[in-house]
Amino acid sequence: MIEAVIFYFFGAVLLGAAIGVIASRNPVHSAMFLVLSFFTSAFIWLLLEAEFLAIVLVLVYVGAVMVLFLFVVMMLDVAPDRLQGGFTAYAPQALVIVALVVAMLGVVLWAQPGQLSMLEAPPRAPPDASNTEALGAVLYTEYVYAFELAAVLLLVAIVAAIVLTMRKRPGLKAQDVPAQLAVRREERVRLVRMKPERDE
Amino acid sequence: MIGLSHYLTLSGILFTLGIAGIFINRRNLILLLMCVELMLLAVNFNFIILSRFLDDIAGQVFVFFILTVAAAEAAIGLAILVVLFRSRPSVQVDELDSMKG
Amino acid sequence: MNALSQFAPASAEIFLTFAACTVLLVDVFLPDRYRVWSYFLALAAVAGTALVLVATAPAEPVVTLSGAFVADSLSQLLKLFTCAVVAVTFLYAKDYLRARSLFQGEYYVLGLLAMLGIFVMISAHSMLSLYLGLEIMSLSLYAMVAFNRESPLAAEAAMKYFILGAIATGCFLYGTSILYGVTGSLDLGEISRRATALDGLDVHLLVALSFILVGVAFKFGAVPFHMWLPDVYQGAITPVTLFIGTAAKIASLAMIFRVLVDGLGPMHASWADMLAVLAVLSMAVGNVVAIAQTNIKRMLAYSTISHVGFILLGVLAGTTSGYQAAVYYTLAYVIMAAAAFGMIILLSRAGFEAEALEDFRGLNARSPWFAAIMLIVMFSMAGVPPLLGFYAKFSVLAAVIEVGRTWLAIAGVVFSVIGAFYYLRVVKLMYFDEPVEHAPLVAGSDLRLVLSVNGLLVLALGIFPQALLAITAVVR
Repeated sequence: MIEAVIFYFFGAVLLGAAIGVIASRNPVHSAMFLVLSFFTSAFIWLLLEAEFLAIVLVLVYVGAVMVLFLFVVMMLDVAPDRLQGGFTAYAPQALVIVALVVAMLGVVLWAQPGQLSMLEAPPRAPPDASNTEALGAVLYTEYVYAFELAAVLLLVAIVAAIVLTMRKRPGLKAQDVPAQLAVRREERVRLVRMKPERDE
Repeated sequence: MIGLSHYLTLSGILFTLGIAGIFINRRNLILLLMCVELMLLAVNFNFIILSRFLDDIAGQVFVFFILTVAAAEAAIGLAILVVLFRSRPSVQVDELDSMKG
Repeated sequence: MNALSQFAPASAEIFLTFAACTVLLVDVFLPDRYRVWSYFLALAAVAGTALVLVATAPAEPVVTLSGAFVADSLSQLLKLFTCAVVAVTFLYAKDYLRARSLFQGEYYVLGLLAMLGIFVMISAHSMLSLYLGLEIMSLSLYAMVAFNRESPLAAEAAMKYFILGAIATGCFLYGTSILYGVTGSLDLGEISRRATALDGLDVHLLVALSFILVGVAFKFGAVPFHMWLPDVYQGAITPVTLFIGTAAKIASLAMIFRVLVDGLGPMHASWADMLAVLAVLSMAVGNVVAIAQTNIKRMLAYSTISHVGFILLGVLAGTTSGYQAAVYYTLAYVIMAAAAFGMIILLSRAGFEAEALEDFRGLNARSPWFAAIMLIVMFSMAGVPPLLGFYAKFSVLAAVIEVGRTWLAIAGVVFSVIGAFYYLRVVKLMYFDEPVEHAPLVAGSDLRLVLSVNGLLVLALGIFPQALLAITAVVR
């Protein structure tokens, strides 16, 4: 019973937020709706006994990826009013494609002789079962190859992001700390002998 | 009782919304990236649901890697967006038409 | 098998990873005037990888690392070929990048990492490693396309490539998730066993297959998922186009083999029809639209699309001879494409990109030798005997007729004849028109030498087709 309440409540909020993402005219609002849909997804994932991933979704997605999105949205300063007209212009094509996808997914969900419809939920895990432990146990053994590949992938992302965005512009005002420390007294201070002046 | 088809329907609708969003928002690059994130969220949903119903951890491991990849992908996508924005002050897709044929 | 010996079949990948990291580190500390050492190191890394590959060649197919990795004769062949192609790409790129002050080690680092992704895809034996390999390659390629930051065209091309690539990956993953639900596994061998048990006709499997096929068709650039290809070919700098047009095609072939043949082989009857539609559309759109192009890189992009149609024809035959023909065609296409893009690089110089068809006008008067090379390549792409491209087309058509899909073979021939027009137009421009450009070619002797060898290879493998046929005979 409580499962149904949680599912329907967060499911409804999730779908509402998803509609908000695609229908908002202001990218900042879209981003905030996306954050909401990640949060509600995390709740439903808890219901599905994927506790570790639910936490990761909030930490990594809401905490890092969405912040990056918002950062770029604000840096690029997209004026919201320029987005008008887009909603209806492509509606016919969107409808056709969406109808196609819905038909295919309908087949997946309600086709009776299919393999998927035979699956039953296994009993709940005992309260002391640790999802993190279960993931960790296979991650460094059975999936060690994939794990190493993910490491390489992150390296690619680092190299790519730096190649694309770092630039050494001439005339950039930057501090050169070693040069600052290596300065000697003679280069900065000049003692000038002046005639005393009278106050008047 | 909430069964497999309830969960799969939810993720299916989410995926469809992502696809629809791509068509509706094809004028704005940042929104396109967000719609792709919605699609990936639906995929992750599917894997987690099936992982639970198959009682098999492999689906969750796959989600773990999708999350990693998607974060890296978002970083590169936004980097390209910044490069693009430096060369032209617009993120509107319909202004990306310097190549035709 | 103990923990470490599991990794032995993947020695080449491990070596390549370390080599790429070494190039990255050394490049950071190199002063600009020694930058050429990054290039030499990258070439050494590719050569070393090839050596390790040969040294660790498996006698029979090995599946290791908990079923994530497979080493067999197909993977050995494709990987060695990838090494050769990447080395040639690096070599062609050197002078081009230097002349445009783009000569940075990152081109080579990203190239090596993309090559690693290609290796992982070639050896994938589970959907997870296939996906990770695909992403390693794609992310490197996105960055390489945007590599020339001063060019708005490059950034635009990279953005289109990225967005469409991300959508395609999303579809691929959605299909994978349904596949996981039906078969309960990510391992391609296990998926194949379960699909056989289900008789390949399960309706959920069909839905999974169609979503996965969208992703595969996109990476290959088959119509109607080809929208990114012409823009990326045109917008990226030519050395990057060269990389995408050659090495990445081998990866697409590997992806199709691993997913459709190794994994969903029992569903051949279903995917053969889907591929037939993609193949005919690709040949039609590619060959017809290429005629209207004035930019040679765009023209070659549409020509790629039409060649992809032919490769798909070979795969959909579903027989050993069909698979061999598909591999043969891909390798032949890669050799021809490398020469064609090499020619564009040869004609370009600092501040001038030989991208318009007009730039080939009167090439015979400027350099009879390279005009002849381009002539060989264009004739070969058009499928004129006795050149390499002719045997590639011939073996694919033979395989298709063998399985009784004669009308597909007829479509292939008709569109090839239409396609011959735009290849011959390039030849006409080179030989029968007056040159508009009189500047001498400035390319270095290493580029001239390798390009000549590359062009002559198209001729030699055409005259002695047994050489390449013998190599592809290892595909079962």
